[in-house]
Amino acid sequence: MMSIDRRKATLFGAAAAVRLLLFTSFPGLPDLLTARVEISTPVTSFKRLQEGLFLYNHNVSPYDGGVYHQAPLLLPLFSLLPSSATYPAFTYLLYVLLDLLSASALMSIAESGEAVSSKLFTSPRKDKRWSSFAIAAAFLFNPFTIATCIGRPTSVFTTCAILHAIAKAVNGNSFTAMFALSFAAYLSMYPILLFPPLALLCYDRRKPLKNPESMYSFVTGNAIAVGGSLYSLLHMSSLITGSWEFLSSTYGVQLLLPDLTPNVGLWWYFFIEMFDSFRNFFLGVFWIHLSAYVAGLTIRLRRQPLFVLTLLLGIFAIFKPYPSISDTSLFLAMLPLYRHVFPLMRYTFLASSTVLYATLLGPAFYYLWIYAGSGNANFFYAITLVWSLGLSLLTSDALFAVLRDELEVERPDLKGKEIRQI
Amino acid sequence: MPPSLPQFSAARARSYIFRLPLFTRCIIFVIVLFWLVSLQSAWDVQQWGALIPKEIGLATMYRTNTFPLVHAGFFHAFMNILALTPLLERFEAEYGTLTTLALFLGPLSTIPALLYTFAERAIGLNTTVLGASIWVFTLIAMEAVKTYRTNPNFVIGTTQIPTWITPIVMVLFVSFLIPHTSFLGHCCGLAFGYGWGLGYLKFLAPPEWILRWIEGKLNLLGRLPHYVSVDQKTYGRYGVLPTTNAPANPDIALRFTDQGQRPSTVLLRRNPFILKLPPYLSFLCIVIGVAWLLVLPLDNYSRRTYISENALLPGQVHTYFAGSDQNVFRGYKHEVDALEERSNIEVNDKLEEFFKASGLKVARQSYEYKSAGETYTGENIYAILHAPRGDATEAIVLVGAWRNMEGKLNRSGVALILTLARYFKRWSLWSKDIIFLVTADSKAGPQAWVDAYHDTHQSNKVESLPLKSGALQGAVVIDYPFDHRFQDIHIVYDGINGQLPNLDLLNTVVSISGHMGIGTSLQKMWQHSDSYRDRLQTMLRGMLNQGLGHASGPHSSFIPYHVDAITLQPFGEGWQDEMAMGRVIESTFRSLNNLLEHLHQSFFFYLLMQADRFVSIGTYLPSAMLVAVNFTIMAIFLWVKSGSPIDKSSKKGSLAVGKAGSLKALVPEEVISVRERELFLPLAVVAGSQFLGVLPLYIFNHTPQAMLSPIFTAFTSVNAFFPLIFSALLTHYFAPTAHHYTLIKTFSLLLLGLFLSSLATLNFSLAFLVGLLSAPLTYMQPLPNHPIIKGVLALLLSALSPTTVLVAGCWWWELGIGAVLKEAAFGWDVWGMTTQVVVWCVWWPAWLVGMVLLFGNPREEKVDGDVGKGKKIKT
Repeated sequence: MMSIDRRKATLFGAAAAVRLLLFTSFPGLPDLLTARVEISTPVTSFKRLQEGLFLYNHNVSPYDGGVYHQAPLLLPLFSLLPSSATYPAFTYLLYVLLDLLSASALMSIAESGEAVSSKLFTSPRKDKRWSSFAIAAAFLFNPFTIATCIGRPTSVFTTCAILHAIAKAVNGNSFTAMFALSFAAYLSMYPILLFPPLALLCYDRRKPLKNPESMYSFVTGNAIAVGGSLYSLLHMSSLITGSWEFLSSTYGVQLLLPDLTPNVGLWWYFFIEMFDSFRNFFLGVFWIHLSAYVAGLTIRLRRQPLFVLTLLLGIFAIFKPYPSISDTSLFLAMLPLYRHVFPLMRYTFLASSTVLYATLLGPAFYYLWIYAGSGNANFFYAITLVWSLGLSLLTSDALFAVLRDELEVERPDLKGKEIRQI
Repeated sequence: MPPSLPQFSAARARSYIFRLPLFTRCIIFVIVLFWLVSLQSAWDVQQWGALIPKEIGLATMYRTNTFPLVHAGFFHAFMNILALTPLLERFEAEYGTLTTLALFLGPLSTIPALLYTFAERAIGLNTTVLGASIWVFTLIAMEAVKTYRTNPNFVIGTTQIPTWITPIVMVLFVSFLIPHTSFLGHCCGLAFGYGWGLGYLKFLAPPEWILRWIEGKLNLLGRLPHYVSVDQKTYGRYGVLPTTNAPANPDIALRFTDQGQRPSTVLLRRNPFILKLPPYLSFLCIVIGVAWLLVLPLDNYSRRTYISENALLPGQVHTYFAGSDQNVFRGYKHEVDALEERSNIEVNDKLEEFFKASGLKVARQSYEYKSAGETYTGENIYAILHAPRGDATEAIVLVGAWRNMEGKLNRSGVALILTLARYFKRWSLWSKDIIFLVTADSKAGPQAWVDAYHDTHQSNKVESLPLKSGALQGAVVIDYPFDHRFQDIHIVYDGINGQLPNLDLLNTVVSISGHMGIGTSLQKMWQHSDSYRDRLQTMLRGMLNQGLGHASGPHSSFIPYHVDAITLQPFGEGWQDEMAMGRVIESTFRSLNNLLEHLHQSFFFYLLMQADRFVSIGTYLPSAMLVAVNFTIMAIFLWVKSGSPIDKSSKKGSLAVGKAGSLKALVPEEVISVRERELFLPLAVVAGSQFLGVLPLYIFNHTPQAMLSPIFTAFTSVNAFFPLIFSALLTHYFAPTAHHYTLIKTFSLLLLGLFLSSLATLNFSLAFLVGLLSAPLTYMQPLPNHPIIKGVLALLLSALSPTTVLVAGCWWWELGIGAVLKEAAFGWDVWGMTTQVVVWCVWWPAWLVGMVLLFGNPREEKVDGDVGKGKKIKT
């Protein structure tokens, strides 16, 4: 036990050291990464947070000027910290701490073994899994995670909240899980879509009671918990900002996409090209598309709700309105939990090469477009398409592997045979 | 054997249509007939036949029977026929023609119609309905109930969904997706269908004995073609839809693929011929890549340059710079000559005086850079001519460095700038501001000025500019360090990191000097005979300059800011005097003055073969991409290879290939099994060598100048032995197997291919040169039993190592190693040059891994798969 604690401390120490080293030895790096469109989106950017903070500290509504689109509760938090312009160290420490908290939540998810053996399903490959230590290391030393941490977008808070929600859920603390989920939803809105699988996960992992309640009443109770905590968070926000107008500047922006700053997602270019009369229709289509996965996957993978969560995080990283590599890093943090199905995946090399190529070519093409002036927007958009293709390959391949794993339990005679879906 | 998906076949469809039973045919015929009748306008068939709730009375009861037969238009009728035919055919086949006739002309249309009428009246609506879709839904509901009996649920995940829901879902879908469909009408149809299916409405069917009697009396079976008898009904005709009788069999979703239907990917992966192909393919890529480059100078592959931007109108204006201005020039040159030995400040004092005398605003900027232990200081001076016809939003720059790249006094150049400043001031036609800039030197000065102009300078070292104008549209540098007449103009165009100015700027100058009878040359090709050889040489020199990414003149600093800039250097002994040079500048500025927007029309990526011949990116990029792709091909090939199962014994290898077909058929599971790859060690080795590259990068950029040469010598000697030591350590501590070595090579080549193809979009030449120099890395592998070949290959690789190439380059161009490294460090610190990053973090790690592979000594592999140390990452 002692050695595990010591290993954990070493790992966390090393991860914190790498981040602090990058912060201190390259003083220009945080601001450089903050300005990168791959990391900062209009709804998570640290720069915009500073703007909102300035307005807030000068008793002006932070949403005046239309730059700040983030949750109001971040403002009192950051105004408690010394200004990041003069004492950046406190901000750095806060972000390092958030990463470590996320990693520790990830470790507790990994330790629960929910990924290989849930209540309704146990994988025949359950022995082939990585230690929680390795999974946390893969998260902490993932270049995407590090870049996100240095770039300081507020999506780091969402990541942390989501991982804690899942961690609490696998430990059976459904109320805490629901609170963490509503916090994540409060910050970024889209995590509310994780509610159905998360509630099922809580239901599967709840402490055994004498007279167990039915699933419907359990889910209803949880829904009420989420609704209640969301309401109290929103009410607190309205007290802080003095009105409810923050709703349209935060969630309204996510829903209606008024800010078309380029990012790694698929929405911005599409809506730049769109005629205004079709805008509302396609906004609806895009949002329905995003949320349509929830029901289908939750039903189909009822036996493995944690995998539904993983997959949804991957899908959100591709299809949500303002995605960044921070979302990808969250998906890549959860994926190693399914190490036991990796041998069943078919396109790992292709998918990872595609993602790698896109990672390098994205900044190159963005440079050609914005700075050198010798390229244009299509260059960068083409690369975001490739990036999304790589991620979709990865998600669909993971889904295939898990289904195949389930199939081999149902039909042991098919093990090792080539099958084809028709 | 599970059923396969029904496949469309024209013959089957034909026979199906020919076997349609009688009543179905009649109904189709009647529907078509009504549609044809409705084409005329005299009699409104729709109005006559439709089911209009308010109009239903005793006299109009016929509507409850006619409405399914009348349709609103061709598509309505067609779609309904398409949906109705198979369902009606099944119904008729099951119940017989007579029953169907009785039902469909009676209760099956009347009852839903009345239901609909009552419902509609109850709500107080009056919506007209038409068409056979009501029958379609009735029949679907019947089918669904039948299906429900045999196959109550279908399963999605763990949730069971009853099959009788399907028609309801369909009704909803139809009402959502198809406009003008009657939800209520369809629901009435459904209600009847469910009622029939559940047996509550069976009493509506005429009793069987009556039907038999009629059938027998009239001998219907004998008289009517395609008649379905009452007796036949019990058996149906040809089975049923798959949904009704398919047992709950999960095989439906899956299909075994036996040897006849193995997916093509597996076949490809196991094809011995294809497995042997990639090394040759990647060699072919390199050869084609090089050959591609070599054919570019031919007439068929390169193009003549042309002016894309119509606004430029080069050489269309008359130039007036002559006559008395020559005396002014002589006077200024005399002054400049007198200032040769003075300090920078004294020079600028004098220049300020001259610019002010011409009536221009003057400002000065001092700067200080530190690099490789040396300090570069100086003071720039510049004057701004405000455009008489402009609003100070745009500016063009005329630059003359006090000392040029070789450190010679730019005597005629600066004098010419002073003269031109005085001359331009007299004209009222400028619509853009003109900035006259005299920098203290050619390397640091322009950089300091451009940085400060765009506010990206480090403010403690480089002063901000006190005076600014609008956005810079272009810059022309005069480098004219002698005072005799010249023959031609040499144009220098390479920017930092291989960026180039817009081709239109170059074309403008070439075209203008051509008009004036002055020749132009590029890349120090003082003689150009327009032969293949000269063109190739020009192109290769250009590629080398681009690849090195250094500043080739004061103009280079402008290009990263998207300011198109070139340097003009007169050369040779001829009869052109400095006034001719002045007229070239004047005409060029008149052209730039015409610009309506930033130069953007023409190419930013090009290779020039001579002043008026070029190839654009589309033509030349494939060669660098092919070289980069060769690495990727090998990486993919090795990855696939590393996944193939271990041969149980190497002797059987050839035998297994010969028998591959039958073996596969016998043991299919072995065919698809992929060997689990151990990724941790290979990833660690490749990542480690990538990180090691930071070391030389840091050392060579942060060493004082005096130490550069000794440190380079030390590094070179360490570099010669390091791979050997690295490899020995690797073998000793981790004992990698051949499998590990394959994966190490996979990742190394993948990264190299990745970096080079990305780089090719930014700096084509550098990507091509590095790719070519590391091409042998594709073929490196451990050769423990061939010491001689290993030695030869090691020598070859060492000859192509970054350090050796650097030494060889210095020897060839007769440069000092120290000077080159100092220049590189200066480039890193001042210009933001990134060539070093590519050399030390892309090329050197790949080379290191190649050497390690060559010296590798793979451990004997155990067949049971229990290999490898550390964590196993298997994919």
